[in-house]
Amino acid sequence: MKTSALTITLLASIGTGSVTASDLLFEPGKDSRFNWDSYSELKKVDLKGQTLTIAGPWLGADKELAESVLAYFEAATGVDIQYAGSDSFEQQIVIDVQAGSPPDIAIFPQPGLAADLAAKGFLSPLDEQLGKWVEENYAAGSSWVDLGTFPDQQGQEQLFGFFYKIDLKSLVWFVPENFEDAGYEVPESMEELKTLTQQIVDDGETPWCIGVGSGGATGWPATDWVEDIMLRLFEPTVYDQWTTNAIPFNDDKVIEAIEDFGWFVKNDGFVDGGARAVAATDFRDSPKGLFSSPPRCYMHRQASFISSFFPEGSELGVDADFFYFPAYASKDLGKPVMGAGTLWSITNDTPAAREFIKFLQTPIAHEVWMAQSGFLTPFKSANVEAYGNDTLKKQGQILLDASTFRFDGSDLMPGKIGAGAFWTGMVDYTGGKSAKEVGDFIQSTWDTLK
Amino acid sequence: MTHLLSSLVIMLLGVAACGFYFVFSNWLLLRIFPVRRVSLQQQAVNIQRAALIRPWLFLAPALGFLGLYLVYPVVESVRLSLFDRGGDAFVGVANYRWLFASEEFQESLLNNLLWLLVVPACSTFLGLVIAAMTDKVRWGNIAKSLVFMPMAISFIGASIIWKFIYEYRGEGSEQIGLLNAVVEYLGGTAQPWITLHFWNNLFLMVILVWIQTGFAMVILSAALRGIPEETVEAAVLDGANGVQIFFKIMIPQIWSTIAVVWTTITITVLKVFDIVLAMTNGQWKTQVLANMMYDWMFRGGGDFGRGAAIAVIIMVAVIPVMIWNIRQANAQMEGR
Amino acid sequence: MVTVTKPLSSTDSPYQSRGLLSTLRRSPLTLLTHLSVIVIVVMWTLPTAGLLISSLRDKEQLAVSGWWTSLSPSTQRLMVRSVPPDAQLEEGGRYVLRGKVSDDQALQVLAFGWSSREPAAYAVGDVAQMRKGQTLSISSNGEYELSSPEPFSGARGKRLFYTAKIPPRFGLDNYREVLTTGGIGQSFINSLTVTIPATVIPILIAAFAAYALSWMAMPGRGLLIALIVGLLVVPLQMSLIPLLRMYNQIGSTFGVDAKSYLGIWLAHTGFGLPLAIYLLRNYIANLPKEIIESARVDGANDFEIFTRIILPLSFPALASFAIFQFLWVWNDLLVATVFLGTGEQQMVLTARLREMLGSYGGNWEVLTASAFVSMAVPLLVFFSLQRYLVRGLLSGSVK
Repeated sequence: MKTSALTITLLASIGTGSVTASDLLFEPGKDSRFNWDSYSELKKVDLKGQTLTIAGPWLGADKELAESVLAYFEAATGVDIQYAGSDSFEQQIVIDVQAGSPPDIAIFPQPGLAADLAAKGFLSPLDEQLGKWVEENYAAGSSWVDLGTFPDQQGQEQLFGFFYKIDLKSLVWFVPENFEDAGYEVPESMEELKTLTQQIVDDGETPWCIGVGSGGATGWPATDWVEDIMLRLFEPTVYDQWTTNAIPFNDDKVIEAIEDFGWFVKNDGFVDGGARAVAATDFRDSPKGLFSSPPRCYMHRQASFISSFFPEGSELGVDADFFYFPAYASKDLGKPVMGAGTLWSITNDTPAAREFIKFLQTPIAHEVWMAQSGFLTPFKSANVEAYGNDTLKKQGQILLDASTFRFDGSDLMPGKIGAGAFWTGMVDYTGGKSAKEVGDFIQSTWDTLK
Repeated sequence: MTHLLSSLVIMLLGVAACGFYFVFSNWLLLRIFPVRRVSLQQQAVNIQRAALIRPWLFLAPALGFLGLYLVYPVVESVRLSLFDRGGDAFVGVANYRWLFASEEFQESLLNNLLWLLVVPACSTFLGLVIAAMTDKVRWGNIAKSLVFMPMAISFIGASIIWKFIYEYRGEGSEQIGLLNAVVEYLGGTAQPWITLHFWNNLFLMVILVWIQTGFAMVILSAALRGIPEETVEAAVLDGANGVQIFFKIMIPQIWSTIAVVWTTITITVLKVFDIVLAMTNGQWKTQVLANMMYDWMFRGGGDFGRGAAIAVIIMVAVIPVMIWNIRQANAQMEGR
Repeated sequence: MVTVTKPLSSTDSPYQSRGLLSTLRRSPLTLLTHLSVIVIVVMWTLPTAGLLISSLRDKEQLAVSGWWTSLSPSTQRLMVRSVPPDAQLEEGGRYVLRGKVSDDQALQVLAFGWSSREPAAYAVGDVAQMRKGQTLSISSNGEYELSSPEPFSGARGKRLFYTAKIPPRFGLDNYREVLTTGGIGQSFINSLTVTIPATVIPILIAAFAAYALSWMAMPGRGLLIALIVGLLVVPLQMSLIPLLRMYNQIGSTFGVDAKSYLGIWLAHTGFGLPLAIYLLRNYIANLPKEIIESARVDGANDFEIFTRIILPLSFPALASFAIFQFLWVWNDLLVATVFLGTGEQQMVLTARLREMLGSYGGNWEVLTASAFVSMAVPLLVFFSLQRYLVRGLLSGSVK
């Protein structure tokens, strides 16, 4: 079209709108729980006039939380941060990097996806000292380094991702007053949990609410179950072999874990609505059964984030609480904990991006989010007192007490498995297929990827 | 507001540029091959030459856009389908070999075939019947509008609407999905419809039929009205009844329109993606080719080789439709 | 073909003018036809109507009962916390907490209880004996009284369970919630900015091409038509990456943003052209041959024929394609997410709504209301322009 040049210049004036740094949530220097020194230190960095684009999976409330932290970096350095969230981040980032228009920083909810992009040469390795820093400053530091290290295009292992914001997955949510009314006790071991489950059924009630529906991602909550159980049945090394396919998906051990999940989900009386409802129930709707009158279920296993889907006005610790998804007392595997976290990587190497990764290493970057909600950190220098409420503090404690920490396994598997065949397999499993069939199916898909 | 204003300005500029292109190119053509103030012989030659060039001037912008936005990506896809997941290493037909061995592909192909059989047939048939019937009632146009309405709704909107139909609540809770409520009212047991294999495909197809019937109806209704009265009257005089007139006199006369409708809906079906993505994402064995392609291309890091291979298959699937349309176009051209 | 340009109103139905066919109208078939049309219309409207009704309902009722029950009062089991212990009064040696379970005047309590195990153990008027000598009573208008021999302690009130008959509640609350969420207005303008040019530009280009393909002699015409039909099925998703790559190259060469409105207009133009050409060609090719030939005999060249005769004649077809393209662009999400940024100045309505769906997830009230908000403009466009649609879509194959 002949007007192209003209319209492009016209459009240049429309297209760019800059976001001004919003007011800081906690006034610097005021609250003594925060390490303000690290913030003052940051002011020495001058990035005025530069722009930093960040792409991540968060929208809505989560986006506001993230932006409240980013605001400190903007205020201190003068950089202009543009955060873009997308609920189909996994696709969006692939489109963006392939098309050559990546953001400066990408926030990966799954290391598997980051590893994929690293292998294709789309990620810039982080500073070499960072690995050492994480090992020294994060609880269970080396595991975080391992999780963020992938082979690059040449096959050389490098640190590509920095973990910031951790979610805890091994939690069982319940309503304390419902337990009180019925006279149930919080179970301390997997054996007790199973006894309690049976007892609730015997009382004519339904113990569990399980919903694995999630639109296009239907099935993922079930993968969390299997992973958690895997860690409670076998040594963590088995878990590692499983996520790397060193043992096949149809191995007896994996089948055993799936079948143990089946004990909870496939016994009709055990789940609200029956096993058939599991795949048809949205995971966000599922916990609502805890709060109905009379309760449709007594327990709900889900990651820490689920509390934001509780009914309006629910107060954590009173209206709803959680306990650690317990380990088998008979197995002597300690207290394994499964979690997930977001991996921050540089997709476009600029000085501002490098400085930003350094910012994430300051206590203040962690404390600002800790003081709000939905944020846990293994960073030892961050002040634990900064946690916004007791629930978070308690979750932080579980993270620190963990004898074993493992990352969500489906996030470690290749995308087509961890975000594909594994999901579909679990949906089929709740739909009536046997664990063996499901394992065979997932393994055969995995084989085609090699 | 400035935003809207500047967009208005650019819009006008764009349209003006289009118009300018056509007027100017025509003027230029007439300058080069003048038809006035030249010898009669020269005039004939010039008219002929101009007539040779003019179609291409008319077509140029369209061909430019088609080439850039559709042909180029197609060629690129064919190329990518022969390369590995990152598009770096040539792998020959390995992607296709994988594809034909893949169970997921066979399942998608089968489902797509089912979609291709059911949706265009149902939409066209229902559209035709509704068109014929609404023509006979006084409030037919209101009825047509209501049946056509789903066309105006986005696929995402339609998916939300149909979730209210298919929603399943576990045993013991009140059903808020209409279908389950009806089933329970009739004494049946509520079912999680979209998880029931085989039938779930049909439930998804219903959504597309719901959307596309309006389209078929509008076009076919117009065609029905174009039927010369005399043919119908002659049949009535011969003692044919309404049904006979409809099937023996009317249908043959609008056969080519039916074919156009069928083609258009078939093409929509081949591309169907949003509905499956929003309702099931291909789980419970409802995968279709377009969604499978999207899946391989963009999920989990993206495998462009395999994604492109599926895209190529989708394009190959349309070749019969293309051939039919070439024949149709040729037949028409012979007529003039 | 004359019927094409005749306005379509029901009184104009060809059947009415045919005396011979009036026999058909009086037959029992006619009654059946009316009935069938009613059934069909109901079937086609019901899903949308359900959504509309749902979006107007109270959000708590919406999630627990079907929309078809919304007109009758519903019986619900609910839980509420009493006023906190620091509001307690000491009366005759007992400590008392008083309040109302709900502000709803029309609510009628049927039964109540104090344990989640037996939420409806007591009828209205009974006094429930609780643990530690505490008692609870709830009257039918929702007033409750908790009393205890010992002072109430703790920070939170006690849980009260009640079963109540609640009258249907309708309102615009869900819409208010959706519309007051920031940025909807801006997104509305952004959507219009994308949609209007992306509708107008392809029409002109397609009309010329359609004319050339139907009335101008040229080699390879059949092949071109076939190619265009073939391009109709090109999956959009496939073209995204090659095109975005190209956009970025152009963007970096000229130093402009790769994600711009111009870019998305051209993209929509490209994607919409095959259908536009296909539909318009079908229409234009079937315009009466005599008109064009007599114009040719009069010495008009193709350009003149097109602008003076074809364009005015094919107005209905142009309008109907415009409606299609408008609906498609307005409802598009995929192209917008790829070719436009997600900043405040560029986020379109569908993207905004999806963001809301993503962050509100299982909230049916947001889902329903936002779905309707997104439908408002297309439905408006459709209902105001549908008369052209019916005429224009009479693609030419009608003989």
